[in-house]
Amino acid sequence: MGLLGARIVVAIFGGYALSALASVAALALPLPTSQAVITGMLASFLVYAGIVVWAFLARSGRGARQSMSGLHTWAGLLAGWLLYAMFLTGTVSYFRDEISQWMRPEIAHRQTPPDPAAVAQRIADTLRIEAAGSPQWSMQLPTARSNVASVFWRLADAAPGQDAYETATLDPDTGRKLAARDTLGGDFFYLFHFQFYYLPIVWGRWLAGLCAMFMLAAIVSGVIVHKKIFVDFFTFRRGKGQRSWLDAHNALAVFGLPFHLMITYSGLAMLMTLYMPWGAMQAMKTPAQQQALNAQLYEFIQPGAPSHVKAPLARIDAMVRQAQARWGRQDVLRVTIANPGDANARVAVARADSARVSMSPQYLLFDGATGELIQAQDRVGAAAETRGVLYALHMGRFGDASLRWIYFIVSLAGTAMVGTGLVLWVVKRRRKLSDPERPHWGFHLVERLNIAAIAGLSIAMTAYLWANRLLPLATPHRAAAEVEVFFAAWCAALVHAVLRPARRAGIELLWLAAAAMALLPALNALTTRRPFWHSVATHDWVYAGFDLTMWAFAALHAMFAICAARHRPGPQAMRAPRVLEQESQAR
Amino acid sequence: MTVLAHLLLCVLAFACLALAMPRHQAAVFGKGLSRAASRSLRGAGWAGLIATLWLTIAARGCSLGLVYYSGCASLAAGIVFCSLVAHERPSA
Repeated sequence: MGLLGARIVVAIFGGYALSALASVAALALPLPTSQAVITGMLASFLVYAGIVVWAFLARSGRGARQSMSGLHTWAGLLAGWLLYAMFLTGTVSYFRDEISQWMRPEIAHRQTPPDPAAVAQRIADTLRIEAAGSPQWSMQLPTARSNVASVFWRLADAAPGQDAYETATLDPDTGRKLAARDTLGGDFFYLFHFQFYYLPIVWGRWLAGLCAMFMLAAIVSGVIVHKKIFVDFFTFRRGKGQRSWLDAHNALAVFGLPFHLMITYSGLAMLMTLYMPWGAMQAMKTPAQQQALNAQLYEFIQPGAPSHVKAPLARIDAMVRQAQARWGRQDVLRVTIANPGDANARVAVARADSARVSMSPQYLLFDGATGELIQAQDRVGAAAETRGVLYALHMGRFGDASLRWIYFIVSLAGTAMVGTGLVLWVVKRRRKLSDPERPHWGFHLVERLNIAAIAGLSIAMTAYLWANRLLPLATPHRAAAEVEVFFAAWCAALVHAVLRPARRAGIELLWLAAAAMALLPALNALTTRRPFWHSVATHDWVYAGFDLTMWAFAALHAMFAICAARHRPGPQAMRAPRVLEQESQAR
Repeated sequence: MTVLAHLLLCVLAFACLALAMPRHQAAVFGKGLSRAASRSLRGAGWAGLIATLWLTIAARGCSLGLVYYSGCASLAAGIVFCSLVAHERPSA
């Protein structure tokens, strides 16, 4: 255990130090500085994964596969519960806009999105009053999938430690504050997916990055362990306990392997300037250089020094129309305005991410006072474009509804892969308990946490949706209250999992989740004017699809509960596959 | 609709690949196929996967095509896997 601990420490901290060095070393590449910095960041995570694998291979005195099996087990266990939650909340975030629509039933379904130019002008008129004095505004315009405009602005005089930004959701038709219930909508799942909640944002993102790194290590080691990857293709041995769980875990991992690799690596690449800032700190010393790097990565323009000469903001709609002429009517997503009302105002109109497989920043930069086009950024360097493609692949915002469903299902399979991995840890060790009636505390802990993490999360997420319909509209801080219901339900599931016998707890929580999901459309029918039959009759596929998906998930959970209730560990379940036996002997 | 067509092609290709394996031949046909038959199934499966890749890229361009293809292939492998599991289910 001491040696294992040392390996884990070397892998995490030594791996980070060396990959940070590698990211700085990339500055020596014969590339433009900004591209060398980005290349270094992108490469550093691969270096990191390599070092982690090496830390477990070196001087292990065991075969490579057994070392990798140890890495796979520990990386999977240590990060497993958080990874499961990240995977599931990330999966539903492919329908983030649709969930937000469902959670604001007051906003009518809209077949075609409004004209972005007119909306942008309306929003700017509102912000002129609401965000007066702010040095930076940013608005995300409605799309075919989202029927609201989201804005945020930087507070002019935020004290350190306070939120530096104010956010709001506006009605695209009026530009005023939305006449709908106060909710975070699908954004909660999306934000939880990579920064959790209650934690300071930077800590949350670091934690998510650490989990992603564990995931990368688990994928690489898993592929090495699973040498019979092609022989076992399509193999599932039913009713064999551990062997069946392993077959399911392998199948889920192998079929989705391109997705799992892409999603993990691109997740790291999305937040790489946070995780690997060293190359940029080394090479980008002046504000102008930093700005050059930012322009390669982000469509947000940072406010320059204001002139302190007042000048009214030129027409925003005219600027958006120029962008529409360039890219297409609906191909404008975000407008950022720096130093509004100042003679030095700048307006960036950024291209949407729905029509191209890249999120590299493409925008038109205008002089905010005169309305003149200053610069058109149509392309970025090769390294920045690579990162833009990774970003887009992760988000899956391009393509049509069919692609989103493919993303959703494959990502759900990834969630199931993490879940089966967690269950496997318990199933594998249950056989080896000296006294199955009184397992040691580590086994007990993992078993209970598994139940709370897997079945409990389904309950918590559904409870969040129930809270959206049931909390009184006048509840103070209503959006935050919905989230508190989410965590309260999760904690209650944990308490239940600890207090009840493990098998019973799992089955009961799965049935509870199934019931809560199955009844959600009924609750929706009772509390809104948009019941299922109405949605179908009016071709409102967001609402109808939501109800149908809930029923499908309810059926899935009921199926799991029935399988769990039916399963009795028989004598055949006791025969372990050879690989695992070797591995357990080696430990 | 093109998605469904590409998905179907991927399913057929993966089904050929699965049926080229002795384990699944035993499960589906009750006996192993001849070596020549297995080989042609494997060839047909790979050819199907490559042809679908070409078709998807032709239909959607390189970048979108590759994404759709990866998704369809993952989904298709899962569908074939689930069908085999359902087929092997003892009829109780």
